[in-house]
Amino acid sequence: MAETADIVNLRRYRLIRNAVFVWLTLVVLGAFLLRIPRIHILEHTARNLYFHVPMWFTLMAAALVSAYHSLRYLQSGDPVRDLRAREAARVGIVFGLLGLATGIVWSRFTWYLGTSLWWNFDPKQSFVLIQLLIYGAYFVLRSAVEDPEKRGRVAAVYNLFAFVTMPFLLYVLPRQMESLHPGAEGNPAFSDITHPIMRLVFYPAVIGFIGLFWVLYTQRVRLALLERRLEMRKATMLEPES
Amino acid sequence: MKAWLRGFWAVFEKDIKLELRARYAINMLLLFALGALVVMAFAVGSTPLSARVQAALLWTVLLFAAAVGLGRAFISEEERGTMLLLQLNLRPGAVYAGKLLVNFALLLALNLVAVGAFAVLLRVQVAWPGLLALTLVLGSIGLAGATTLLSALIARAAGGRGALLPVLLFPVLVPLLLSAVEATRSALLVAEGWAAATDELLTLVGFGGAVITAAVLLFDYIWLD
Repeated sequence: MAETADIVNLRRYRLIRNAVFVWLTLVVLGAFLLRIPRIHILEHTARNLYFHVPMWFTLMAAALVSAYHSLRYLQSGDPVRDLRAREAARVGIVFGLLGLATGIVWSRFTWYLGTSLWWNFDPKQSFVLIQLLIYGAYFVLRSAVEDPEKRGRVAAVYNLFAFVTMPFLLYVLPRQMESLHPGAEGNPAFSDITHPIMRLVFYPAVIGFIGLFWVLYTQRVRLALLERRLEMRKATMLEPES
Repeated sequence: MKAWLRGFWAVFEKDIKLELRARYAINMLLLFALGALVVMAFAVGSTPLSARVQAALLWTVLLFAAAVGLGRAFISEEERGTMLLLQLNLRPGAVYAGKLLVNFALLLALNLVAVGAFAVLLRVQVAWPGLLALTLVLGSIGLAGATTLLSALIARAAGGRGALLPVLLFPVLVPLLLSAVEATRSALLVAEGWAAATDELLTLVGFGGAVITAAVLLFDYIWLD
């Protein structure tokens, strides 16, 4: 079957994978070695900006990729689209968990120091949790349907429906809630902590982690395609010869 | 358009008639909500609650009742074997709209009873009844919109597996819950009222609109084989 060869360009994949490797290594080195201005409360934890914030961007990128492929699946019915939506969601969960973990630990030992708070309903923290719940439900729904064609359609509809409610969590509610995140009351605005030298690492980190998402995602898509091919081959082998 | 309206009304009328005959969904909604409220009231005892907690408890009960009681809209069609007839005779949009209106009517009935029982059991003082009513109506629109689509989804997918609807529904409803609780809190406090709840009411309108629009667009894909 030429399907895999058509969809995944191995040479391009290897090139981008190696580039992401080198790029992220440099980002990590820069993140820990470059001198940064000391801000009250934040001190050296400001370096978490390089890791925590890109996770957030990457999660949104993953959600977008997943929703896009769900939409294309509904339009075309091509099983590869369903597979792509699934794998983007799966890799997105990993980045969501990392973003949540880095955020919880960061806030616990800086802003909430002395309060022993782990969770304070920050809008963005809540959004990540909701997104994780939605992807959890997405996979539960998938496992509840046997027929692949029906499963793809049902899962895609749920994925898109959930995606439509996202802007409320992302853009509407944060405006009505207090937040630790930049721009909200009582917090250093983004421009304050992002001294030029921090931008030097921050923007490459965003690109690097989205690149890492791409590498993991295409890897998983290729694996899923191979598994599918194996299954189909098994199915044809089991068929009685006519 | 005329055929669409006729179809929509026919679905609504049929379901309401069936509902009035058997009273399965409405009894289930009411008793679930009352049961949950009694449990909460007994657990809380005579401790005075803040307006925020009262609003949170009310909406939790409404959400749980809706997730339990409204999931049958499409499963019942599947069980009676009438799904195919609906698919053949009506446009998907008309079916969705009819079922949506039924669910909305059920939720309104639930609201009337639940809020009354809630006020008595948890000793709630409502400072702004009009605001509370509008919040409940707007919240119910969004709730009915989401529940109707997702119940169609699980009916088509799994033939109605018990806990699947709440699992799918709750994450999607978080924005609605947050705004509704905040607006209800404003309705309970004398010092707040309409001006304090404007943002939340607008969010509820926007959420309901977005959910129903998306549901209408997506319904075709799960309705037609």
